[in-house]
Amino acid sequence: MAFKYKLLKAIDVAGLQVFDPVVRLCYGEEPKLQLRRIGLFIVIPLLTLAAFVALWAYVGPRHKTKAGEVPSPAVVLQAGQDTWRFDAWEDTKAADYKRAGQDREQALAAVNARIEELEPQAEQAAAQLAEVEDAYRTQLMEQVKPLYDEYRQMRVDFRDESQRREAELEDRAAHLSGSVAEREAFLDALREHRQWEEGEKAELAAFKDQIGEIEDAKAPELEAARAQSNDLGQELQYLRKRRDQLTSDNLSLKLADAEQRLEQREQAFLQASSGEEALSLANQILAEEAAMERIETSTYAKPWTLPDQIMRSILCVFTGFVLASIIAIPIGILCGLNRVFMAAMTPLISLFKPVSPIVWLPIVFIIVGGFIPEPSDSALLDFFNAIPVLGAYDVNPAFLSSAITVALCSLWPTLVNTALGVAAIDKDHINVARVLRLGFWSRLVKIVVPSALPLIFAGLRISLGVGWMVLIAAELLSSSEGIGKFVWDMFNNGSSQTFAQMFVVVFVVGLIGLLLDRIMIVFQRLVSFDGAPTAL
Amino acid sequence: MKRLVTFCTSLLAAAASFAAPLEKTDLKFGFIKLTDCAPLVIAKEKGFFQDEGLSVEVVAQPNWKTLLDNVINGNLDGAHMLSGQPIAATIGIGTQAHVVTAFTMDLNGNGITVSNNIWEEMQQIDFDLDTPFPEHPISADALKPIVEEYLSKGDKLQMGMVFPVSTHNYELRYWLAASGINPGMYTKTDVGGRTDAEVELSVTPPPMMPTVLEAGNIQGYCVGEPWNQQAVSKGIGVPVVTNYDIWQNNPEKVFGVTKKWADANPHTHVAVVKALIRAGRWLDETDASGHYVNRDEAVRILSQPNYVGADYNVIKNSMTGYFYFQKTDKREMPDFNVFYKYYATYPWYSDGIWFLTQMRRWGQITEPKSAAWYAETAQKIYLPDVYLTAAQELLDEGLIEKDEIPWDTDGYKPATDAFIDGITYDAHDPIGYLNSHQIGNKDFVGTTAGN
Amino acid sequence: MAFLELDHVSLGFGPPNDRTEVLKDVNLQVQENEFVAIIGFSGSGKSTLVSLLAGLQQPEKGCVRMHGQPVTEPGPERGIMFQNYSLLPWLSVHGNIELAVKQVFPRYSRAERKAHVERYIEMVNLTPAADKKPSELSGGMRQRVSLARTLAMQPEVILLDEPLSALDALTRANLQDEIVRIWGEDRRTVVMITNDVDEALLMADRVVPLTMGPEATLADAFTIDLPRPRDRTLSNSDPDFKHLRNRITQYLIGLNEEAKALRVDERKEMPDVRPVDFYATRRTSFWERLRNNDTDAA
Repeated sequence: MAFKYKLLKAIDVAGLQVFDPVVRLCYGEEPKLQLRRIGLFIVIPLLTLAAFVALWAYVGPRHKTKAGEVPSPAVVLQAGQDTWRFDAWEDTKAADYKRAGQDREQALAAVNARIEELEPQAEQAAAQLAEVEDAYRTQLMEQVKPLYDEYRQMRVDFRDESQRREAELEDRAAHLSGSVAEREAFLDALREHRQWEEGEKAELAAFKDQIGEIEDAKAPELEAARAQSNDLGQELQYLRKRRDQLTSDNLSLKLADAEQRLEQREQAFLQASSGEEALSLANQILAEEAAMERIETSTYAKPWTLPDQIMRSILCVFTGFVLASIIAIPIGILCGLNRVFMAAMTPLISLFKPVSPIVWLPIVFIIVGGFIPEPSDSALLDFFNAIPVLGAYDVNPAFLSSAITVALCSLWPTLVNTALGVAAIDKDHINVARVLRLGFWSRLVKIVVPSALPLIFAGLRISLGVGWMVLIAAELLSSSEGIGKFVWDMFNNGSSQTFAQMFVVVFVVGLIGLLLDRIMIVFQRLVSFDGAPTAL
Repeated sequence: MKRLVTFCTSLLAAAASFAAPLEKTDLKFGFIKLTDCAPLVIAKEKGFFQDEGLSVEVVAQPNWKTLLDNVINGNLDGAHMLSGQPIAATIGIGTQAHVVTAFTMDLNGNGITVSNNIWEEMQQIDFDLDTPFPEHPISADALKPIVEEYLSKGDKLQMGMVFPVSTHNYELRYWLAASGINPGMYTKTDVGGRTDAEVELSVTPPPMMPTVLEAGNIQGYCVGEPWNQQAVSKGIGVPVVTNYDIWQNNPEKVFGVTKKWADANPHTHVAVVKALIRAGRWLDETDASGHYVNRDEAVRILSQPNYVGADYNVIKNSMTGYFYFQKTDKREMPDFNVFYKYYATYPWYSDGIWFLTQMRRWGQITEPKSAAWYAETAQKIYLPDVYLTAAQELLDEGLIEKDEIPWDTDGYKPATDAFIDGITYDAHDPIGYLNSHQIGNKDFVGTTAGN
Repeated sequence: MAFLELDHVSLGFGPPNDRTEVLKDVNLQVQENEFVAIIGFSGSGKSTLVSLLAGLQQPEKGCVRMHGQPVTEPGPERGIMFQNYSLLPWLSVHGNIELAVKQVFPRYSRAERKAHVERYIEMVNLTPAADKKPSELSGGMRQRVSLARTLAMQPEVILLDEPLSALDALTRANLQDEIVRIWGEDRRTVVMITNDVDEALLMADRVVPLTMGPEATLADAFTIDLPRPRDRTLSNSDPDFKHLRNRITQYLIGLNEEAKALRVDERKEMPDVRPVDFYATRRTSFWERLRNNDTDAA
């Protein structure tokens, strides 16, 4: 029983009250009530989600533009899998680079076997694709050619007809008498001619549209053949690169090579007869040793993949968030404590609060650039790159600019809430401090800040949400590796998966945003002393 | 067998590296998602950089401006650049910084695409265009009446290009001006280049082109691949001309680094150029019947999401020597992308001078300059010495053939009239070339410029 | 010289043209070791009086003195127990008391401090709840924490503002005994505010009634010379006790009636205004006239 209440309490603190009825139901507490609550808090949201997905699956593929169609959930799932597969493949390549000894040989054997298996398949698929493509093209030409001929004939006829009418009119115009009726009749004839021309134009356009429709019609067979050939080609390419990583580009082989060379030089050095030769060989030995050291520490230059980019984005938002907190909380406290300071800050806060990240970023970029004239030799960057987890994700000026932009856009809710929390402190608490004759610092640390903490954390929670939203835009603009850069790259790719990948990002960003919010709720609950619920 | 060869070459490469200790081995290069970034990507993926003892990361950049900024402020060691970028940066158009190049990445590779509506109107005007296989090259003659119609309505045709000093800007202007359409002049106060324009050009990032065209904000654009083939495959526009037809074998992209970087890392620079030359050679390798043997693999690599990332079958068209002008109009264009043939990778002074003449022609260079200035400026930016050192090492290592490199050139290609308007370009006489055009600035020796 | 004194103290609030005098010309002398109860109705300004004594508020006229020195700011030598407890909700029972102890006895070692805090928690019977937060405690428990905190400061004067008002009868009785015991042991000076005559009689040496506000002031004190310890079971039978209670109660009722009478006098005469009957003079509409004509014709 005690465990039950501990569990319920943990759920409560973690902001997962949704699962409260599930736990209670497991313990058989008021099953009817719990079932009703489960229905309300779990089943209905799930049903809504399902309805949304169903609506999306129905509407998406039916909404077409020439740039593409809204991808269906299945396509998005496929894109997500492909994105993750790309990461896995790159990881394997990186691992292959480091494989040595038997491990390398086994991997190489497996890769070679798979290549042998796939090569004929790929060839077959390519041949089939060529066949299908040819068939499609001949069929299309067969369909379209006569239509084009007809169209051409129509156009020639219309042109001749039009020229004939024009000649006639010219002739008539030359022989016009002074009669009003005749002149009116001529005008009518000219009008008629123009109408004819319009009509012919429209007819031609309609005909061409017809041809266009035939040309644009989807060829599922062709697409399937293309997809199959493509998949095989992709995998083969991957396997071939792996083979390179396991043989010619392999770390252990390169090292063995270098060692062998070094030995040769050392041998030669021992037998060198002239001083000049000895010096040259000694130099070579040193160079070879340096080269070996370099090879030893070298790694496969893995490209940025979505999981790494997600991690970097999260680190970036946290850097920005920490920065925002460091700025916002002290200023907020000063604002709350001192009405003069508050009055002084109000115009600045009101002025800068609504500025968009897109405006901040270029400004921040210039400022950060000023502090880092030479990225390869910067104490500031070295400092950040020495921080354990952060350093592994390559802190560069773009990262700092994005983080500072995030900070500039997200510090306002924290600042305002802190000021509010400090200003709204209970008078009784102040009286306690007065009776105890607490000094400024003790009063701040023991009374003011703790009493404002719930509001400060509410502000921090909003800030983190804002920061996460801003970050994607900032990364996109600063091309700092992260989710924003992923979005921009995928958009730039303009491939058939582009739109699906955007949707993948929507879900990734949404889920991480949700997670961050939940974490903040937990913190908020831990500091809230009145036991009031802080979240839905 | 091939493995063994690479294995030996790596031995050789390492052996060569004793003579020249590298200043920097971990490098970061930028590129824009266009198929002509191929030499950079291939040099990395095929291990050519590794053979030189370099560990290279290649990073996609969002646009040409950011790419250049990143090179200048040191976030990148070097990058895939528009030919005009090192020149413009060095003479101070836009961002001022001394940027140099020792390697031309490719020839040709761009196309001009117009929207379906404009294409239909052009077909209405020029009867011969109204077939599934119109005769090429298509000039802008059929576009002129449309431009005039727009003007009579108080409107101007809008077209997109990728950067103010990009090849695309000059090619689009050249194509329009060759048919007597004024694309507008840059002046001291008009940095948008729209003074007296009959067609207004604006900057749009390459990947945005199809979207913006479909939205109707522009009626046409000039851009590199895959963005013309993309328009065909999505049915939103029709490529009317490739830059091969505007100027045969025109220089397109270069590999640019800052002067400061080149001075600080001379040996690394040579090593990078060596790897790039090998990549270019690999890309243009053909079998006995003249088919590219490695392009399919290259396309496969380029279609990875971290490189160009477009669909394999879209990139494949132009890279393997074909070009779709319409869905039913597939033509052979074996020289659409040239990476090595025709001494393509050599940094020609004459190429730099052509870009300088275009900058002067359209007013980006605001004052008249002497012929000597053109030559000196080109020599400040193009570094054939670095290229030739790299080539010599490759030759010594047996990785290239002697006849593949123009060893004894003075850096000037012979005069050529392979332009859409047939005007002869001789890099020794930039002023004369400038004056042979109808539209654009003309300079007279000893006098100030006139229009 | 009195230990603690209010000397012709007045205090009010509001702008000069709309002023409310809360206290007017209040005089009080408290001797050392004396237990004084101030009794009055709610709203008569009792809490303001405590604030003045504590130094949380300053009088507008007159002076508050302790040891003959004017009181200008609050301090731990005048331990005040607030009517609404004023516990810090983010600290546990132990933490609340510790905060005060730390401040008043900065030289205590950690162990001494802990022992001191625990002694006072023990005193108010809250040892099992020592780690609980105020929000987890009942009103009575919070009041006891507040009391423990005040006592733990070991002030020279203990100011109690209705300390037992929120408690049930049983706890209340216990705490009354407790306070008296502590007062008896340490022989401190206590000023207690209360509205309970029995409580005042059981605990205090002197009971001073506060007249009804506004412009409240202290009336003459009743000296309670009942022997200690006082047995509350005798309160209904002991004649002295009954006599004192009657006197005080009578006095208070009198005060109340006086106040009521004053209020009646203040009542304003309302003017005799009635709503106008607009229908009386309303014009008949065009259509009505038309209808009327019809009926007339019929």
